[in-house]
Amino acid sequence: MIRRERTIHVVLLLSLLVLLHGCAVNKATATVDQTTDLSALKMFHVKKYSKDTRDTNVLIENKLTEMGFHISGTETEVDAIVTYVDKWWWDITMYMLELTITLRDPGSDFPLATGHSLHTSLTRKSPEGMVDEVLTNIFFSDEKRGADSDK
Amino acid sequence: MKFLLIFSSVMRSEEQIVINSHLRFLAACAMITLLAGCASPASRQELVVEETSFGTRHPYSVFVIAGGGGETDATGYTNISNEDLEGAIKESIIKSGLFSSVAKTHDADYKLSVNLVSMSKPMFGLSFTIDMEMSWSLVNTKTGAAVMRESIKSSHTTGGGEAFAAVTRIRMAVERAAEKNIRQGLQKIAGLPLN
Repeated sequence: MIRRERTIHVVLLLSLLVLLHGCAVNKATATVDQTTDLSALKMFHVKKYSKDTRDTNVLIENKLTEMGFHISGTETEVDAIVTYVDKWWWDITMYMLELTITLRDPGSDFPLATGHSLHTSLTRKSPEGMVDEVLTNIFFSDEKRGADSDK
Repeated sequence: MKFLLIFSSVMRSEEQIVINSHLRFLAACAMITLLAGCASPASRQELVVEETSFGTRHPYSVFVIAGGGGETDATGYTNISNEDLEGAIKESIIKSGLFSSVAKTHDADYKLSVNLVSMSKPMFGLSFTIDMEMSWSLVNTKTGAAVMRESIKSSHTTGGGEAFAAVTRIRMAVERAAEKNIRQGLQKIAGLPLN
């Protein structure tokens, strides 16, 4: 009987281990195109994601303002248009699983720079923390991978 | 007394059956979770454009660099690594002869930068559609002029009958969408009047 109970506990622990295995994943990357001069970008317009119901655009605007940039309510006469995709997940409570922010050329829609962060449940960050991480990586990280890696 | 012994024996065997079935159920759950989460990265070979020629051969060397990709966790989503994206673009250029050579260092006539900007990640369904966007820029290293700046979007759907496992159908859709993107990008470069 004791042996049987021990077996049950081992199987339960293994099941829990398998279920929790993917729960602590962190990823944060940023790439800037070789033709982009980030220092020339001063004025942004944040375009609200059509599926965003949590006003992540406001968090991005606030963070950009805090970083010293200017925000415009329209797409005209800006240096870049900011688009984003936020993905939320549920684990006891809702949390932001992934955030991708892209700075685009206002004329051609060309992606000038992109940042992406992913934090699964056990290493979850607040939405403000996610926005901060992505924008900081785009503008200040020295570990950007891609066309700008030699910049 | 004899009745009690028989009753106790029957109860014990029923209890054992219930516990065994619970054990089997838990083992099956663990196995399903393991199998369902076994995502594999996109294969470099599947991203290579098998085009003999784009009808153009630019007499210049090109240096290629790719970014925006990432590693694939076993329990995560299929992704394309930067190394595989870069390698597939280089191999596609060599196979098609689009440029006279692919340089290993920055010392080339042109520098091609390709960044994976976004990729949709459907989770459930029989068929999976992957939408992908990559930024392509080509710079003349001598003049520093950008001769191409394009946002290229591609998409591919794998049907439910194309593979048994969902993770395989997702990987196939990612590979095909990336291959289409590389094909479009190289076709655009083939149409450029480089000098």
